[in-house]
Amino acid sequence: MNILVCVKRVPLTGGRIVLSDDARAISTRHLGFTVSPHEECGAEEAVRLVEQHGGASTVLALGPAEAEEQLRDMMAIGVDRAIHLLTEGEEWDPQATAAAIVTAVRAQSEPFDLLLFGNEAADSCDYQVAIRVAYALGLPVVTGVKGITVADGQIRCEQETDGGRDVYELPLPAVVSVKEGLNLPRYASVPGRLRAKRKPLQATRPAGVQARLQMVRLALPEGSGKQAQMLGSGAPAAAAIVGVLGELGLL
Amino acid sequence: MRPDQKGEGGIASPIAALLLAAAVAASATIFVFRSRRLIGLMRAARPAARSGDIGARARNEVSIVLGQRKLLARPGPGLMHAFIFWGFMVLLPTILIALIGVTDRTSTLPWLGHQGWYALLVDVSCALVLVGVLAALWIRKVQRPRRFEGSHLGEADLILGLIATIVISLLLWHASRIALGINDWPASWTPISRALSHLFGGGQGTKVAERVFAWIHVLTILAFLAYLPGSKHLHIFTAAPNVWFKRTGAGGRLEPLRFEPGEGETDEDLRFGAGKPADLTWKQVLDTASCTECGRCQDACPAFATGKLLSPKLLIMGLRDAVLAGGEQPLVPDAVPEESVWDCVTCGACVQACPVTIEHIDHIVDLRRHLVMVESSFPAEAEPMLRDVERASNPWGRAQSERADWAVELGVRVLEPGDPAPEYLYWVGCATSFDERAKRTAEATARLLKAAGVDFAILGPRESCTGDPARRIGNEYVFQEFAQQNVETLNGAGVHKIVANCPHCFNTLANEYPDFGGDYEVVHHSQLLSQLVGEGRLKPARDETLAITYHDSCYLARHNDVLDEPRELVAAVGRPVEMERSRRATFCCGAGGAHMWMEERGTPINDARVHEAAATGAGTLAVACPFCTVMLDDGVQGAGEQLRVADVATLLAEAMDVGATAPGGTSATGSPDAGDEERT
Amino acid sequence: MSGILLFAFEADDELSQQASALAAALHGDLDAITVQGSYAPAAWAAAIAEEVSERSPRAVLAPGTERGNELLAHVGALLDLPMAANCTAVTLGDPARVTRVRWGGSLLEEALVHGSPLLATVAPHAVTAQPFTTPPRALAPAADAPVRVTERIEAATGGISLTDAPVVVSGGRGVGSSEGFAVIEELAALLDGAVGCSRAVTSAGWRPHSDQVGQTGTKVSPELYIACGISGATQHMAGCKGAKKLLAINADGEASIFASADYGVIGDLHEVLPAVCAQIRKARGA
Repeated sequence: MNILVCVKRVPLTGGRIVLSDDARAISTRHLGFTVSPHEECGAEEAVRLVEQHGGASTVLALGPAEAEEQLRDMMAIGVDRAIHLLTEGEEWDPQATAAAIVTAVRAQSEPFDLLLFGNEAADSCDYQVAIRVAYALGLPVVTGVKGITVADGQIRCEQETDGGRDVYELPLPAVVSVKEGLNLPRYASVPGRLRAKRKPLQATRPAGVQARLQMVRLALPEGSGKQAQMLGSGAPAAAAIVGVLGELGLL
Repeated sequence: MRPDQKGEGGIASPIAALLLAAAVAASATIFVFRSRRLIGLMRAARPAARSGDIGARARNEVSIVLGQRKLLARPGPGLMHAFIFWGFMVLLPTILIALIGVTDRTSTLPWLGHQGWYALLVDVSCALVLVGVLAALWIRKVQRPRRFEGSHLGEADLILGLIATIVISLLLWHASRIALGINDWPASWTPISRALSHLFGGGQGTKVAERVFAWIHVLTILAFLAYLPGSKHLHIFTAAPNVWFKRTGAGGRLEPLRFEPGEGETDEDLRFGAGKPADLTWKQVLDTASCTECGRCQDACPAFATGKLLSPKLLIMGLRDAVLAGGEQPLVPDAVPEESVWDCVTCGACVQACPVTIEHIDHIVDLRRHLVMVESSFPAEAEPMLRDVERASNPWGRAQSERADWAVELGVRVLEPGDPAPEYLYWVGCATSFDERAKRTAEATARLLKAAGVDFAILGPRESCTGDPARRIGNEYVFQEFAQQNVETLNGAGVHKIVANCPHCFNTLANEYPDFGGDYEVVHHSQLLSQLVGEGRLKPARDETLAITYHDSCYLARHNDVLDEPRELVAAVGRPVEMERSRRATFCCGAGGAHMWMEERGTPINDARVHEAAATGAGTLAVACPFCTVMLDDGVQGAGEQLRVADVATLLAEAMDVGATAPGGTSATGSPDAGDEERT
Repeated sequence: MSGILLFAFEADDELSQQASALAAALHGDLDAITVQGSYAPAAWAAAIAEEVSERSPRAVLAPGTERGNELLAHVGALLDLPMAANCTAVTLGDPARVTRVRWGGSLLEEALVHGSPLLATVAPHAVTAQPFTTPPRALAPAADAPVRVTERIEAATGGISLTDAPVVVSGGRGVGSSEGFAVIEELAALLDGAVGCSRAVTSAGWRPHSDQVGQTGTKVSPELYIACGISGATQHMAGCKGAKKLLAINADGEASIFASADYGVIGDLHEVLPAVCAQIRKARGA
């Protein structure tokens, strides 16, 4: 199998979000970065599928030079190679992102059997890049997947809805967007990390397009910083808690 | 009696010499053959840096080997062993005397063999050895201490038997020589041998007996020699070198690993801890060959004491067996059960207790390094810590931008890039920055330093985890990333002096960062505060009625010898009461070795310590470490004891009324900053 | 070109009713549609796209559920139009202006949308629901549906699901171990609620991912969310901000969760929760 998994470098925000002075970005000074959680499960799934079925996996990221860190992290858990679509760190809207990915996919010498995406990126939460890539490549797509089985050129996907799971069966090649809970990503070994430093990484600078979903500015929601009504300290507060439960009609 | 020893005055010398030569050759061959295996294993083993510091090494040999210092930490068994050891030191030349004596009945070692004073020493030594052997038998057979659980008791009995045989045969040989009138030394100097000589008539029977005792003596020694290499008694050869090669620097420093292949090396040559026997270093192999199965480490281990699987003794014995067996079998779980690798809190009590200076922590950390870095196998509950420490730069996954939140209202200077360096860089540490109970210590320390007019600053969000939890759990790779990053930050800021709250930070900054280019003068906050009190820059009011017992943090007391300064602070604010297990004999709080982030099986270690503290009758339990603060406070709440757990900085601040939290009750209740103002 | 096309899943679906309320506030005739039959996103989207070509609405809105976002993303791909997911406010125009949700709700974005019609989904619980005056018009899905649900697996257990429970009692790092969750389970059982947890707990292996509440876990909207030993990272808050009321129990009085809570108790959950359980039993006259 030839598998592509797309990831995004996102900050770890902690207890509160602080904006830059011009309110057009999150202030990331002193923040750590990671791969968006859904996507990390996608990368783990790619590695597992290759372990099961043979073939190779590729990780792709559209992002600034620092995103190489995330690409190497994914190669450390076993992805074979990486494609880095370099930007200056500016925002790319979902259509531009999808277009850049499609260009990169078409430029590969071997077609992919399976393209894995995260259901939505932790920061922008657009829910659509996988779908747009699928339409552009003429491939079927399922989203929100938490269970995958591949057999005989078919992929069986399980999507959680209404307390149960809906099952889709698609022929490969296909596009699937996955959710955290699909698997438990492995912890990278040190030999894996050292090998990842030497795995091939192909970097290109895609041509941007005018944003059609254009971010103007960011803002913190109102109501953050509200004052909680303190009911007390320790076990003695239990009575007050039960009082609240009663008021809310939950007892 | 030996059937081939007969005749007038024994066998003629040449035949005796030949027989002796044959016996010596046989014994030596077996000895060499069996030792070669061990030496070969040591030579094939991985390297360890144990050179330099000759003066310290020589002092260790004198005090630990000759002086039997570590053994005498337990006076009874210590004296028992010392008698046997010192006795045998004196008796060494008698081996030569005996070898000469079996060949030629009339000869002995020139000069020494004739010295009355030496013969007296020999007599006395034989007696001491016998006393030692009897004491050992009493300990093993009557007292039966728990530390022998798991040791090879039968083998020990055999060895005691051989020792007794050697010494008794020597005495009887001397006695029979006196009876025959052929003693080479003046008999009046040897009361014991002379007394025993009355057992012998002096006739033909005694002549035979004299030869018999001589041969028994020599053959027993030769048999012992051949037996040694496979037995635990090998320590008589390996202990002295093992003591020589023990660490001479701070106990808390672990050896770094390399992650870049050196000249002529490939990635395959890199060593990521110990996965199979061939991965151990020669010092570790020597360690396993030195173990006498005495069990003092097992007795000292807080994990073992609270029902965990880990026994440092069984761990070393298991490794020894694996080393001797060789092969590619994984050390964990084949030689050492996986659970016991994780039980360790790296407190160092085992290393301290060991009379032959085995360094158990090195073994355990190397086993962990392989498990974590190569197999990615570690307790699941530690995974968030490992991921968080790497991605968020602290083990709790909190945003670094919030790291200095505790300091905002106190007006503490946060060092930005390009700012002039302060006299002291106050390294707060992750626990003290983020944990609600440990934060009290930061607040108190900052207030005190300000009150004393100390020029200090914190790094704030630029202070990352020192990497200690990653290193102790075995992820040396992540640790080194942090070490390099922090050294760069500190050196870039022009820092020379650091004061740290957390003994783990203190240990890493002082002892481990020099390996990465970071050389700083590091003090623990108790040391700096104690100095300020001594200089009169801080004047606490002492409350004689406040009974305080101080719990030594392992990383302060045992690994770094910081014992007195926290006690000075306690004495300056109240009435100190010592626990029995104090100073270097302290009992761990249970959070070391990354256990702050791991689950504990069996009885919690902190509960055990809390009961001990409560038993002193003190109302306050003073600590000097954020981990100890949290663990012991948890223990107090769990055990329902009436003890207030507080850091020495907090107690000092309260005694000075610099606006710290109000005293009384356990520190978890009540909200912080109850409207206090700063006072200068 | 004046209508507002609103896609609804069902007439009595609360989130569709919320979307309808936002749509109704825009200037234009509200045209509510739905699609018949079993869910097949591409086929359903094709039907919606055809409706768009026929009716030329100014905007197409849908509830910001997983499926709502998926459907409108398909429509956007089909029609080569941008799609703004999870909007809390919409102003039509050229370009249109939306306020939408990022980071699962912890951040808002103001954006311009260049393209007509505007495709937007409505963030859950941003607007009060408004019932449909007339039921949505049912469309037939496109005939060719290669991607459709072929099987349904019902959840194995009984017991109340996180999304349905009126009370969720949730534990974080502060619980300390998987055994420590016993007291959380006890309280949840007493209140006919469900047990939730933070991502650190799942990562530590104490609870399965199905219990995880958060941006990448389950998003819950109970009457009361009781957060025990949870510090309040935005990742987690994204999952529970739909709760009507939030009670935070944490030993750290300065934990950021208190800034998002309606009620707070400073204390160790292992002391507070057993006391609460005992009080509940007493209040019920055991």
